[in-house]
Amino acid sequence: MSWFVKFWGTRGSIPTPGPQSRKYGGNTSCVEIHADPALLICDGGTGLRELGMDLLKRKKGEPIRGHFLFSHTHWDHIQGFPFFVPAYDPRNEFLVYGTSRGDRRTFDLLSGQMRSEYFPVEFSELRSRIAPADLGDGHAHVEGFSVRCVELKHPGRAFAFAFEKEGKKVVYATDNELDLVLADPDQPGREPNARRSFPEPLVEFMRGADLLIGDGQYTDEEYPHRIGWGHSRASTLVDLALAAEVRQLAVFHHDPMQSDRDVDRKIDLCRERAARQGGKVVVFGAREGLELRIG
Amino acid sequence: MAPIPDQEDPEVTAGGTREISVNITPFTVGPTPFSLRLVHGPGSPRNFLLAREEVVLGRSSEADIQVDSTDLSRRHLALRREHGQYTVFDLGSRNGVYLNGVRIHSAVLHEGDNLQLGSVVLVFHEGRE
Repeated sequence: MSWFVKFWGTRGSIPTPGPQSRKYGGNTSCVEIHADPALLICDGGTGLRELGMDLLKRKKGEPIRGHFLFSHTHWDHIQGFPFFVPAYDPRNEFLVYGTSRGDRRTFDLLSGQMRSEYFPVEFSELRSRIAPADLGDGHAHVEGFSVRCVELKHPGRAFAFAFEKEGKKVVYATDNELDLVLADPDQPGREPNARRSFPEPLVEFMRGADLLIGDGQYTDEEYPHRIGWGHSRASTLVDLALAAEVRQLAVFHHDPMQSDRDVDRKIDLCRERAARQGGKVVVFGAREGLELRIG
Repeated sequence: MAPIPDQEDPEVTAGGTREISVNITPFTVGPTPFSLRLVHGPGSPRNFLLAREEVVLGRSSEADIQVDSTDLSRRHLALRREHGQYTVFDLGSRNGVYLNGVRIHSAVLHEGDNLQLGSVVLVFHEGRE
């Protein structure tokens, strides 16, 4: 059966609506993976509101069952949840996954952001069945998908997820400061054009993916002013994609200061870097409304 | 657009300023059509205006936009307009739909997007409703 990946929010840090972000979109992280009827949702940034509206239209009144996998609980990854209209319908059911056995942290923080100090509607007023679940020892089967996770480099912790089904693989790995895990962290400054090296477990996690959705928030010019903020420069992400021999790379989590033209330029530089290194990876900028058929 | 001044001779007032009469031309922005420009393939170059809410492009004579290339499936792609923008859908074509070099299933289109269908290349131009 075919399965699909659709981008509903690709912006990092804060929503950026307006004419400067029409092409790539201003909504924050939300990616849908679906193989009807299976529905998996990576992150609940403001793009989740749009996904919710689309689900209501697509499902035509049928009950909706979905599986939420949150990379972490920073604002830009959870803010859309209170506006996810299907969560208000008692016929629907959603599971919120922790990354280890019994891990309810994400579930508890989701409900916490709906306390009356922050939001007018209490979590308990969401009438769908919303329950915690977990990936056991970091690997579980969810509606026909094999789902694995690995921890990334990000303040407060974040996790990547690898989804596999019928020989195809998609990796969602956002909010990850790759430059801080390089074998030689000084290399990009010393030899900017040299291929960067990564820890083998990280490369293996991504190995052979048909699609890697990765944090490529910054350009090489921007990154030195943002060290420690938990995000990667796009050029380092390209090198990871090449090391892991992925087929397609979606540069994700665009910086809110980047206009569409800036993102275009960032992607051009990524493509040039991949080509210089003889890589065959197809590089593109993740943008709202883009849907890929994976299998 | 700036107001257009009357071309008749202005009168000079006692205070030294000149009184002029100005005709204000109403500034209206009419709709402009969305379009696809065929830049490579049989019949290129050619513009296709997207006048309907749904348009099918393919090799078939029954397609709304027919491009007579064997690289195209009979019904290759559809363009659907919603909320003032067009979304492209691959209708299960043999050679696929590549948006700016990436094979896609569907995508919201923006000004200058490049659609490649085998050797056939089209460029999308945004209009205004």
